[in-house]
Amino acid sequence: MKTAELNKELYSSPVGNAEEINELLRRYGVKFGIYKNGIFKEQLFPFDPIPRIITHDDFTDMEKGLVQRVDALNKFLFDIYHDKNIIKDGVIPENFVYISSGYLPQCEGITPPNNIYSHISGIDLVQSKDGDWYILEDNLRIPSGASYPLIARELTRVASPAAFSSNSIVDNRNYAKLLKDTMDYSNCGGINAILTPGRYNAAYFEHSYLAELTNSVLVQNDELFVEDNVLYHKTYTGGKTKVGALYRRISDDYLDPLTFEPQSLIGIPNLMEAYRSGNVAIINAPGNGVADDKGIYYFVPKMIEYYLGEKPVLKNAPTYLPFYEEDKEYVLKNLDRLVIKDVAEAGGYGVIFGSELSDEKLENMRQTIINEPRRFIAQEVIDFLDLPILDDGRQVMRKADLRAFVLSGEQTKVWASGLTRFSRNPDSFVVNSSQGGGFKDTWVLSR
Amino acid sequence: MGTISIEHGDRLFWLGRYAERVFSTLKALEDLYDNSIDSRPKCYTDFLAKFGLADTYGSAKIFFDSFIFDKENVNSVAASLERAYDNGIVLREEISTEALSFLQLAFDTLEKAQKSAKGLRLSLLPLEDILFGFWGCVSEYVYDYEIRTIIFCGKSVERLDLELRFKSDFGKVQHEFERLCRHLRNVPKNSPYRYNTGQLCRLVEILGSEEDYLKLSDKAITSLGKLFEAEKIPVGVNV
Repeated sequence: MKTAELNKELYSSPVGNAEEINELLRRYGVKFGIYKNGIFKEQLFPFDPIPRIITHDDFTDMEKGLVQRVDALNKFLFDIYHDKNIIKDGVIPENFVYISSGYLPQCEGITPPNNIYSHISGIDLVQSKDGDWYILEDNLRIPSGASYPLIARELTRVASPAAFSSNSIVDNRNYAKLLKDTMDYSNCGGINAILTPGRYNAAYFEHSYLAELTNSVLVQNDELFVEDNVLYHKTYTGGKTKVGALYRRISDDYLDPLTFEPQSLIGIPNLMEAYRSGNVAIINAPGNGVADDKGIYYFVPKMIEYYLGEKPVLKNAPTYLPFYEEDKEYVLKNLDRLVIKDVAEAGGYGVIFGSELSDEKLENMRQTIINEPRRFIAQEVIDFLDLPILDDGRQVMRKADLRAFVLSGEQTKVWASGLTRFSRNPDSFVVNSSQGGGFKDTWVLSR
Repeated sequence: MGTISIEHGDRLFWLGRYAERVFSTLKALEDLYDNSIDSRPKCYTDFLAKFGLADTYGSAKIFFDSFIFDKENVNSVAASLERAYDNGIVLREEISTEALSFLQLAFDTLEKAQKSAKGLRLSLLPLEDILFGFWGCVSEYVYDYEIRTIIFCGKSVERLDLELRFKSDFGKVQHEFERLCRHLRNVPKNSPYRYNTGQLCRLVEILGSEEDYLKLSDKAITSLGKLFEAEKIPVGVNV
């Protein structure tokens, strides 16, 4: 059965009381940090008790498509930092790769353990009204969000056990095991550590929660050092412990001040040398940004065919690259109904709906695209399936997406759950938590 | 876990201290409040005197509001709880989400108590239960022996410090000192929480008899404050 054919009643039934569950989330510190006017505030990530439900059949198809996509992206990353055959064979234009801000020449020739670059991939999808799933974007750097549905499931089971005994729902509480297995598989000998920028990072709850569940050490940069190309954790007794896998939750730019941003105060000097020497796995690998660039997204279906010799299972949203003359012409002509994305932006920023622009702003946008065609992609607005949420006790329909988590270790596995984010604003397509969105549990039915 | 950094070691110790300070301060203030309701309305000035503080409050009500609920008052229950939470929040993987949730609950309960129409002690009773729950959780869920030892060293140092300042019964002080010594025995060599032998000997001497305790409790407080100072090793001595 397809998700679109689900019984309406099941699809719109809340699990437990929203207030009770949000109270439990507060108790367990499920918060995210946000800076407003330079002041740090912790706030709850609003939880909606009506779950998103994905049928077994839909998930099986989605799983195939996601595994295929992430495997191809990993092969692409290896290729780009080694032989560059995909460029030589003319599948992707050369300057599309090298112009990308995510391409890091410092990573040329480095081979990560087991050739895995993207260990944890967050793939954003939406479902259209006809039931098809579309990939919106790939997040291969430091995708966040798995901890929220993970702990929400734990708490909704407390608040509403009946919902779980009367429905056949795949237990999603294996995420920590999947993550630990992923870290262990790439570990070069030593402990697993999670590197956080610190308590005032927006995703600090996630860093600390995942460290607890995977039995990893949560560290900041000043607790680590590199000696003879080996990464160590300083212990309080004056000793040192080798780190074999570092799940870093800081951006590439700040990882190692001797290789990247010299002014970084949160990096570890010489980390890249330890990585290059094969003494530590960096999870996810530096340089992955070249593959999740919004411009490269256009080429992922081609990558799947090129590296795997398979037809893509999952579709991209129809996308145009103004870089190509033909596409540019189409984009400029249809700008008022397309969605324009700035490839350098993330977190829901830099997304412009042509239909919302005044004539003057549309004209400005046209000129900007003509002047900087590589900076933007344009997509058709997908008429995607709205999901029911409770708003002040009233059920209303809102836009929602799904971040699926794909973990690459000995095998590539898709977590049977995901982060469903929704917009609380009825007129908005933007679902990001940093812009006021909420989240739901994501149920995958077992039969 | 298996590996503790200096930063986390420090935070574990202070988590123990502040969480204990919340509980001990709360208990002391509840006793004081009980005294103030009939026999000695101004008895809170004795409490202030033990910390060398002047009475700038004027009334018992203002005093209790400040010492229990005011986060700006560094000696208050609320301020200590905030510091315990600040230390705890970065120790989730060491102390568990379960234990950390009791600190959040304590916060929420203290806020509710402040707004409650019930009597002060009645409204604070759930907070005591939650603090017991926190310590139970630390005992039950913190499996790493070293981590537990550091937290309990902090807890014991804080309790003993307060007992000494309040000049509690010798039996209580002795009991707490014995408990501290048991924790200290488990601290690994080279750890910042390895005791300073000189200061520990001094404490043993002072707290060895009731007579010395009554005469020298101020000196005991000083030695306790220096208990984790690094040993001064004479030049030329091999260790």
